[in-house]
Amino acid sequence: MIPNRKKYLKQQAQNGQKIMGVLPALYPRELLWAFDILPAEIWDPPGDILRANAHLQATICPIVKRGLEFILKESASVNAGYLFPHTCDSLQNLATQVKDLIGTSQPVYTFYNPKAQFNKTTRRYYLDLLQDFQTTLETKFGPLNRAKLMAACELGSKIDIRWLTLQNARRADQLELTNPEYFQLVRAGEYLKPEDYLTLLNQVEVQAGPVHQSNRRLLLSGILPPHEETLSFLDELSVTIVADDLLSGSRRFPITQLDTPVDPFEYLTDRHFLLPPCSTRASNLKERIHHLQKMISESQVHGVLFNIIKFCEPELFDHRFLVKTLKQNRVPLLSLETELLPGISGQDRTRIEAFIEMLDEQVSG
Amino acid sequence: MSLVGKLKYQFMKDIGAPALMSLKDLKQHRKRPVSPAFGPPLKTNKRLKEILSRHYFLARYVPGAKQVAWVTSGAPVELLRAFDFYTIYPENHSALVGAKKQGADYCTIAENDGFSQDLCSYARIDLGHMLSGKTPAGKLPKPDLLFCSNNICQTVLYWYKAIAHELDIPLIHFDVPFVAVEQSEADVRYLAQQLLDMIPILEQFTGKVFDLKQFEIILKRSQESSQTWGKILELMQAKPAPMTIFDAFGHLAPVVSLRGLPVAQDYYDLLLKEVDERVNKGIGAITNERYRLIWDNIAVWYQVRYLATFFAERNMNFVTATYTNAWAETTGYLDIKDPWSSMAKTYGQIILNNNLKHRLGLMRKMIKNFGVDGMVMHSTRSCKPYSVGQFDLRKALSAELKLPAVIIDADIADERVWSQQQIQTRLEAFCETLEDTTLG
Ligand code: SF4
Ligand code: SF4
Repeated sequence: MIPNRKKYLKQQAQNGQKIMGVLPALYPRELLWAFDILPAEIWDPPGDILRANAHLQATICPIVKRGLEFILKESASVNAGYLFPHTCDSLQNLATQVKDLIGTSQPVYTFYNPKAQFNKTTRRYYLDLLQDFQTTLETKFGPLNRAKLMAACELGSKIDIRWLTLQNARRADQLELTNPEYFQLVRAGEYLKPEDYLTLLNQVEVQAGPVHQSNRRLLLSGILPPHEETLSFLDELSVTIVADDLLSGSRRFPITQLDTPVDPFEYLTDRHFLLPPCSTRASNLKERIHHLQKMISESQVHGVLFNIIKFCEPELFDHRFLVKTLKQNRVPLLSLETELLPGISGQDRTRIEAFIEMLDEQVSG
Repeated sequence: MSLVGKLKYQFMKDIGAPALMSLKDLKQHRKRPVSPAFGPPLKTNKRLKEILSRHYFLARYVPGAKQVAWVTSGAPVELLRAFDFYTIYPENHSALVGAKKQGADYCTIAENDGFSQDLCSYARIDLGHMLSGKTPAGKLPKPDLLFCSNNICQTVLYWYKAIAHELDIPLIHFDVPFVAVEQSEADVRYLAQQLLDMIPILEQFTGKVFDLKQFEIILKRSQESSQTWGKILELMQAKPAPMTIFDAFGHLAPVVSLRGLPVAQDYYDLLLKEVDERVNKGIGAITNERYRLIWDNIAVWYQVRYLATFFAERNMNFVTATYTNAWAETTGYLDIKDPWSSMAKTYGQIILNNNLKHRLGLMRKMIKNFGVDGMVMHSTRSCKPYSVGQFDLRKALSAELKLPAVIIDADIADERVWSQQQIQTRLEAFCETLEDTTLG
């Protein structure tokens, strides 16, 4: 049902589609769509990390390493350059390292995401950033067609709305999808053309009532979902991840539904500032904690699973506070650390099993 | 602010601190033996110790007299000075803890409380201090306000956010966009507007009215201190160099943490005079300077003495560093007549907020101007913005300038990361290559 990423992108490239490799995480996707560019996001490309190790220290997170490994391979499916949104110190430096020191046959673009709290000044600046990004893209891809941008915003808005519906359905156990299937669906948005993604989301059936009564409901927090084997293992244990606070997931969708776009730049700015609190945007901790607690109560989960990427500073700072608060509130939680290697370790299996046992005791006790 | 608090602070400032400093003078510390490879020490060292001790000593009497702000090293502190805050620099304090080889103790406190060992050690030390109250400086006042800028890293923002949350105090953040290519007009406008937006917030917080004239005086002082610091560093182009970069790591403290205050300017005037005199008399920091080196990245605070001695005994002197240069590099942009936009340019383009093309160009220039023969890069576990890219910088500089170079893996303030055997072997191999290359 979901097209294979590699095949899909290869096919698109063969059809003459402009494809830009985009590193994590936040960027005005609609602006790229309006230039007929397909963003193919690069989060955790599979394979061994070989060449990147010659450029990066051992203490750099695996997303950055995998990203560089991918770039060094000069994949044929990326033909319109690379975009590095400003997410963290490591990605910030990787952008200039690739552009100014290592070099690549593709142009390198950057997009700053303001870290200041929302106010008039930040809003105005975000509008300027969009304008500057448009100008940069125009020098390479020709003038922007405003009507196309408007259409892209409308399409984006439809995706957001459908996503909200599916998110709510997942919480209400109205989706007949396993954990891996659910996250494959979420992550298909990382490479599908928006119209294809919307079609896919629309094909997902929302049942009238709960399809099963899960007594093991978890919320997942972190940057990326765990590897598929871990997700399947959770299925084996009858655990359903019913909500997520992932940077690659719900943190990239507005908290509430926006009005239909009128002015595209105003719309994109509103959308950006309506994204849920996130470590990489340096959101206020009170807001982040409040948001997480709200998700926990609304989705009626029994516990929280943190999937922490090794050496990820933004998440690790927040993690201590989130954990502390959840413990105070007696919310069961488990923190897994990942280096984004395939499979599931014996240790993780044991820890997950022990966690679920503890969860059951709490639920029944 | 209470009257008693103010009087107590004033008394300590005028009488208590000077008395204590002269007492410290009498109490001669047992001197550790210094290698004969070093030239005569700088006389100004004594003054440096005095002003830093005084700053930390007075800090104990500040609560009740002045409002206290904890500030990041790259933040535009001049604005806070205009509102008469007493400023504490946690990065500086963490470096001090590191230099005393106590970093691991403080880090452990933070780690035991849930902070990951993979976080920057300056942050962990500070969080350890915050959680325990421990400090080698006697006692540090709790902040009333936090002031941070992400022009050095995003880490400080996460770190200050953590303190703000824990202590439930306000955080003022100066958001500085990274210069991926060059600063745009929009960037400058954004930065300048943020500074202007801070004024009413600070007025409300302190109950004081912003005085532009006073602010300009502070800015001018700040500019002069940075410029004088720049001149001091330039004098290290002399052969033999009058200081080592390890001296400069220490003498950097006032321009970081007392910038904008008269004491900093007076201090650098004194240091400039002494360094200039040494140049004229041909007095070197090491007795037989045969090789001149560049240092990249922040100091390894707990090994400064070891590293200084290791190289001095091999007739090698560090004459320049990207780190010490950071507080002088962009001062040229400052224009008192146009404070807001010029501050945007000054604070927005510092080395850690600028792209690696810029850093490469800067290092190339430094290597040339300072007659550098070799390079030591400290790849520090703590600092991503300083360390990511170093491997390729080294490659580019080595290839282009045929410059022998070595990278050592360590940390700025967490001594657990130091591996003596491995580093010594690397450094020895580097020294051999350097000697061979120069002989050849
Ligand atoms: S995992 Fe964390 S450190 Fe790595 S790229 Fe993502 S935000 Fe940055
Ligand atoms: S050492 Fe690096 S990461 Fe740590 S506070 Fe300083 S600039 Fe930031």
